[in-house]
This record gives sequence, structure tokens and C-alpha cells, in this order.
Amino acid sequence: MDCKKAQSLFDDLAQDRLDPETTLQVSQHLTDCTDCRVLAQRAARLQRLLALKRYEQPAPEYLDNFLSEFHSRLMAETQQPAWWEQALGHIDSLLVVGTMRVWRYGLASAMGVAVVVGVMWMSVRQTDVPDSAADQTAAANASLMLADSQSTPAVSHSAPDAIVATVPASLQAVPGDDQPATAGSVDLVQATTHADYTVPRYVLDRITPASYEVPNVHF
Amino acid sequence: MKLKETIKLGSQMLRRASPSTTGSAPPTEREIDLQHEDDEALVRRTQKGDSSAFDVLVGRYKERLYATVYHMTSNHEDANDLVQDTFIKAYKSLRSFRGQSSFYTWVYRIAVNRTINFIKRRKNRNQYSLDDVDSSIQTDPDLVELMSHVTPRREVALTELQQKLNEALQRLSEPHRAVVAMHDIQGMTHADIARVMKCSEGTVRSRLFYARQQLQGLLSDYL
Repeated sequence: MDCKKAQSLFDDLAQDRLDPETTLQVSQHLTDCTDCRVLAQRAARLQRLLALKRYEQPAPEYLDNFLSEFHSRLMAETQQPAWWEQALGHIDSLLVVGTMRVWRYGLASAMGVAVVVGVMWMSVRQTDVPDSAADQTAAANASLMLADSQSTPAVSHSAPDAIVATVPASLQAVPGDDQPATAGSVDLVQATTHADYTVPRYVLDRITPASYEVPNVHF
Repeated sequence: MKLKETIKLGSQMLRRASPSTTGSAPPTEREIDLQHEDDEALVRRTQKGDSSAFDVLVGRYKERLYATVYHMTSNHEDANDLVQDTFIKAYKSLRSFRGQSSFYTWVYRIAVNRTINFIKRRKNRNQYSLDDVDSSIQTDPDLVELMSHVTPRREVALTELQQKLNEALQRLSEPHRAVVAMHDIQGMTHADIARVMKCSEGTVRSRLFYARQQLQGLLSDYL
């Protein structure tokens, strides 16, 4: 038997928990190995020393009231407020310090104002001007519709003179572009208009420039 | 019939919990009957609503739990509080107790875990409040042999020895202190300790080995 194995069995040997064969082996090892014998003796003395702590006892009547105290504590614990009630109580006690009661109402008012402002801000965000991509698409679609109507033969209805249509800026003549495209061909020309469009708008430049004196547009 | 019995037991419990109750009242006939029941039966009764069955369990294990917790904390007031908390926790959690271990192991585990957590929170703020040493120690052969070569003033030596033992134990980490308290002081087996601490017997043995090495250095004057 090696020292490590023997040292692991000191406890069991001291408390007679080993079978006879193992007891014999450990005893034989202790006879032969001085180091393990010294260790075993010191371990045994330490255990006897620690066992003296068993004489430390509470006073005889100390645990007599244990059961009644247990019932009292159990009753108190079942009547304890819930954790959220305790938290609110702590917050309330922090806010109510001497004459500073007003802070309680001030804090509540501030929280109310914050909620109202938050709701208003959210609603304002939802009613904002649509984004530029949507604008571009809508304008392009409108210009396509108007360009198509210009190239087709005039419809047999007569546009009253009184009709004055507001020509979208995107349909006005493109400055510098006086070369009519051949029939059937389509060139995409970047339209620069008087309006402050930051995004370039492309119109289909057909046979004639897109200039109208009397727009043939039905709204 | 069951409801009436439950209400009657509840009112008995309330009477016992009233502040006017002092000292230990003589056991009722029912309590005497319950004393003969084993732990499993008492647990089943408690789970069905019989709180007086749990009282029997408390009476059965309070001293042992108190002793282990006291040896880990070296403070008898803390030990009392911790054991009270242990039984309250056990009572509240008894519904979920499935009987995979014995009630004794289960409640012991609660006590040891609560004590370890308490010691960790307390950190190094050790406050000794030692129990008195029983006078029968004077005739203990180990003490007689030990004191014979320490000092002729046995009372002083005994107080000093008690102080030194507790200080040495407090220098150990919480798990090592627990295994020393359970094995070397309470006399529990490695298997029982392993069940309580939910570890292997090998872990218990290695912790004991390490703890004893430390204690031998701290208590070399008495070895």
C-alpha cells in the first residue's frame, strides 16, 4: 500500500470502518512508514482536540422556546407585505423626509409630464412629411402620366379656356435641351427645375419638349 | 370532517404562536402519538396540512442542526437565527419535497447552505458569541491528557483552548469549515456529508485533508 492510499484511510481506521484485511494493510504500512505514522498521530490528536468542541452547549433552556419562536416567525413571515409593496414603501420613505413632502408630488407631476410629452412626440413623428424616396416615386409617376398624355393625339374633348392648370415644375421645359428626340426614342434627361428639388427627377423626353401652354391634363 | 380538523389544528397553532406562550408546554396526547411516527410519515402528514407533525420534526432535529451551525459560525445567536430560518424555509418548501433523500439530509442541506451563504455575506466580520463549555469536559480523558502538560491553571487554559479552536475554525473557508464541523465535531460519515453537500465522497475526503493540514498549523501548540 502506498502512502497516499494509506493517508486517505486514516479516518476510517480511526473509526473502525475498514474491513479486517484493509485494516491489516494500513496498520502494516504505519509500522513501516515513519512519515505516515507521524501524520496519523497528529491527525488523531487533532481529531480529539476538535471533538472537545462537542462540550460546547447552549444553556439548557436556550432551545426550550425554539418551537414557539418558530411559530411566531412563520406567522410574521406570512403576514409580510409583498416585495413590490416593500419597494414602494422604501421609495415613499425616501421621499418623505421632514418637510420635503412636496417632492413626492413634484416627482409624480414630472413623471406625468414626461409621459404626456412622450405620447405627443410619438404622434408627431407619425404625421411627418413622407420620406424623399416616396416623393421621388410619386413625382416620377405623375410626370410619366403627363408626358404620355402629351404625346398622344388630343382627345376630342375641348379644354375650356378657363382651365388653368398648375403645371408641376417637373414638367417644365428643360433648359438647354432643344434637340427633339426622334419619334419613338426615349432619352432620359435629368430635369432641372426652378423648384428646390434636391433629388434629381427624370422625365421621359419624347418628341417635343414638355412645355405646355394649355395643359391637356385631367385632374 | 377534514375541514374542521384543519381549522382546529390551525387554531391550535395560532394559540401556540401567541406571545403569551412561554416555556415548553407538556405534550398533548396527539403529540405523543406523533413522536412514534417516522420522518416520512410526518412529512406526508405535514404536506396534507397537519402542522403539528412538522412540530415533531422540528423538535427532533433542532439540536443537531443548531450544533452544526454553531460550530460553523461560533456565534450562538446567529446559529439560532439560521436554524429558525432553515425550518421556516423547509416548512414553506415541503410541498415540493419529493422524498428523493431523507428529510434529515434535506433539511441539513438547507441549514448548511444557508450558513455558508451567511458566512460569505459576513465576510471577515467575525463576532464570537461562544456557548458555555459543559462541565463534564473536566473529566474527558483527552482534555486531561492535553492539559496536563499545558498549564496547571485549567480554567484559564480551557477558555483559551475554546477561543483558539474557534479562531482556527473561522480561518477555514466555508466548505472546509462545514466538513470539519460535520465530520470531526459532529461525527457524521463521509457518505452522509457527501449527500448533504451534494458532492462525492472523494471531494469530502480531500476537503477534510486540506482543512486538517491548515488546522494542524494553526493549533500546533496543542498537538
